[in-house]
Amino acid sequence: MTATETPVGAEPPRTPAPTGRPAWRRPPVLPILVLWLVYTVLLLLFALFVPARVMGPPASPTMREIESTVTSFSLASAPVAAMVWAILTYSLLVWRYPGKGPPAEDAPPIRGNNKVLATWLVTSTALCLFLLIWGLVVLAPPASVASTATRPPLVVDVTGQQWTWTFEYPGTGHQVSDQLYLPANQPVLFHVTSKDVIHSFWIVEMGVKIDANPGVTTTANVTPDRTGTFTIRCAELCGLYHSYMQTPVHVLSSNDFAAWLRTAQKAAS
Amino acid sequence: MATMTTQGPVAAPVPGTGGGLMRRLSVVTGVVVGVVLAFVGWLVSNALLPSPQEGNHKTDAVTLITLICWAIGFLVGVGAFVGPFRWLLGRDLSHEDEEFLAGKDEGVWRYFRFTTDHKVVGMQYLVTTMALFAVGGTLAMLIRTNLARPNSEIVGPLAYNELVGLHGIIMIIATIIMVSGPFGNFILPIMIGARDMAFPRLNALSYWLLFAAVPVLLSAFFLGGIPTGWSAYAPLSDQAPPGMDAFLVTIVIFGVSTALAGANITTTAVRMRARGMTWNRTPIFVFGVVTSVALGLIAFPMFMVAMVGLAMDRSLGANFYVASGGGNPWLYSNLFWLMGHPEVYVILLPAIIALLEITPVFTRKPLFSFNGAVLGIGGIVGLSLFVWAHHMYMAGWAPPLNAPFMVTTELISIPTGLLFLVLLGTLWRGPVWMRLPVMAVYALLWNFTIGGITGIYLSDVPVDQAMHGSMFVTAHFHYTLMGAGLTGALGALAYWFPKMTGRMLNERWGGIGFWTAQLGFNVTFLGMFAVGLAGQPRRVSDPAAMFATGNLVSTIGAYVIGIGMLIFLYAVLHSWRHGELAPANPWGAKTLEWQVPTPVPLENFTVLPVVTSDFYGYSENGSREAHPAAEPALTPAGVAGGGGSGALPPETAAPTGEGRD
Repeated sequence: MTATETPVGAEPPRTPAPTGRPAWRRPPVLPILVLWLVYTVLLLLFALFVPARVMGPPASPTMREIESTVTSFSLASAPVAAMVWAILTYSLLVWRYPGKGPPAEDAPPIRGNNKVLATWLVTSTALCLFLLIWGLVVLAPPASVASTATRPPLVVDVTGQQWTWTFEYPGTGHQVSDQLYLPANQPVLFHVTSKDVIHSFWIVEMGVKIDANPGVTTTANVTPDRTGTFTIRCAELCGLYHSYMQTPVHVLSSNDFAAWLRTAQKAAS
Repeated sequence: MATMTTQGPVAAPVPGTGGGLMRRLSVVTGVVVGVVLAFVGWLVSNALLPSPQEGNHKTDAVTLITLICWAIGFLVGVGAFVGPFRWLLGRDLSHEDEEFLAGKDEGVWRYFRFTTDHKVVGMQYLVTTMALFAVGGTLAMLIRTNLARPNSEIVGPLAYNELVGLHGIIMIIATIIMVSGPFGNFILPIMIGARDMAFPRLNALSYWLLFAAVPVLLSAFFLGGIPTGWSAYAPLSDQAPPGMDAFLVTIVIFGVSTALAGANITTTAVRMRARGMTWNRTPIFVFGVVTSVALGLIAFPMFMVAMVGLAMDRSLGANFYVASGGGNPWLYSNLFWLMGHPEVYVILLPAIIALLEITPVFTRKPLFSFNGAVLGIGGIVGLSLFVWAHHMYMAGWAPPLNAPFMVTTELISIPTGLLFLVLLGTLWRGPVWMRLPVMAVYALLWNFTIGGITGIYLSDVPVDQAMHGSMFVTAHFHYTLMGAGLTGALGALAYWFPKMTGRMLNERWGGIGFWTAQLGFNVTFLGMFAVGLAGQPRRVSDPAAMFATGNLVSTIGAYVIGIGMLIFLYAVLHSWRHGELAPANPWGAKTLEWQVPTPVPLENFTVLPVVTSDFYGYSENGSREAHPAAEPALTPAGVAGGGGSGALPPETAAPTGEGRD
């Protein structure tokens, strides 16, 4: 077909109508429902087991809450994604029209459907509200922590600079360290600042993150509840050695922590 | 650019009388004058500016002056100011001059001149976009190569940071223009029944400004790069090498370019629609482009202001963002994200809406809920201006504002869901004529579902504590900008390719390339989601060994994308030169751009059309005949004869029944 042979503005020749009832006329509700159920089950299984597992075992109640939020958001969105993909799959498999020209017969003109539109809007609004309320509840300052925290929080001053972290323990004679030591099961309050550019103080396994800004002090708090060694990574591009700005965090039992403080103080004096 | 010859008139150009000085000007004189003026600027500023006393302010000032001189010189040399200058002299352009300016009878050279024809500008944008994608994609390959194995020293941390910044900004510029540039300029005016844009000279100016910005941006390669990421957070960008000056000059020029294009396209769509084309008869693609560029009009000046502040910091020691000098880095981040989040929708909207335009054509039925789509677009645009601080949850800036910004951000999922519904509803019950353009719809539905849902995690403040600044974010926004945005743009290219080049895009190679790239894309970014969840920060040149597997998977996927994109590029270039000649309306679409001949004549329509219904009336208005021979006249259902068939000129309106057989 060349431009000269085809009348300008013409539609290309249509392929003749296939005999029998075209596939796209059959009511497809049941097969799509089946696809949707299968996809939903698969996605639910994925949501239950994969994301939290990839995020690793949490080392604080904060991180535990984050992982359960991720799991429940994944569960809530599973049926939505499954529905989009079910219609997509069915349409690819059954509704396709492989001809070289446009289908011989135009499809039924569906110009909207107020019921569908309303259902869709109500459902998506409900899902959105669920996310919002969940997020706002988790975000609200947990009154219980403040009341049950019998001990005052341990304050740690964190200073970022290219490309290292420094930790100071002002309550304990301004102990300084280049690795972070924390007691388990005691609330910790970080005062974070920076000497040069913006860094981001991120204790990966504890779900704590706050930017270290030059000229200001920001705060973050956490209660580590598992002893062991974890990782601080800088989460804001801060120059040449950004990727090496990593420091271990040691969470010790309170006795071990007290012992570390004593030895560190001796070493300092 | 031999590949463009199919666009040129066949007959040898008969030299007109118009043009005057403009006949001697082209991109060549532009480059010459630009380079000369840049050199002069460099000499003068080096001689006159005081020697450095504090910091390296002098280097930055010299770089800034040189680059700005280049841009001004280039625009003068290419002839951008001939019109206004002659108007000032009282010798306004004659009709012949205007025709010359519009590229009449100039053959291929009109693509290398300051040409006002919107179709020429559209093609210039298309080629520029493709070139930018090629450069940005190559940089992405280098990034992924470096991340293939831990402890790799292939590029090293310094070059790595420069690559990340350049990849980012090149891709952002390319994606911002990828739909509104080529298709917004070439297709939109024809689609609304106009003979050109409202301000043709501004249109040419907006393209040549972009052209002037590209060498400035690429000069950053030689000036120490942009080792700050494209977000260029202060005060890191205050201490960056002079490549940063190239970056900020680029942004300012690009900002002016998009502002001109935005004002122009908006005015065109508002004022120049054909008679009878009420807003509810206007094709949905017009809504996509106009809301996108209008949003850019609001958003991009924020970035320009941020960059002017940065320029003053760097060259004059102004300390807007330097805390030790009384400045505040949060000022920069706020300005940046005031642009940065609307910008996401500037990129996404026209690409998704292009697919909304395409779907009815290939399913032979009206758009499912036109009003729903418009409502969705409006909701997204409105909300997108009030969500910027979700990028700053973890900045420590105003923690009490986190909750309200979480609310606005999550509300955006409702209008976005409406766009999904319209797409699905249009596919519903088929038939879906499986050609390359409509395949992009399927790819988008898959990718954007993932991109949208992962965005919900990031919008949640507590979850963001674990995910902000991690590779999870990188994967998420690639799923939206590339998986939805670029996919939509490729669909648009496949759809409008016949109209723009006069040839059909080779569907075999185009399809193979497209699906290879989609497969590689999903492998790449699923790997990134995994390492992001496990705790790998963004923009690290040497991730910890625990992330090795995920990174290797991503790198393999990236190479698959690269191969797919090369195949697609081959299909595009080969079809452009040797493809099957396209009929004027290969898809049997009803919108106006398909009712004019290919190649489109200089002023599109000899008689302007009158519109009496919308363009989605497939199977309506008596056009539901089963036999092609019985098809009524080939005027689109939506276009009235306007007093006989006189509304469309004889050569554009369609031939009568004889022509069919």
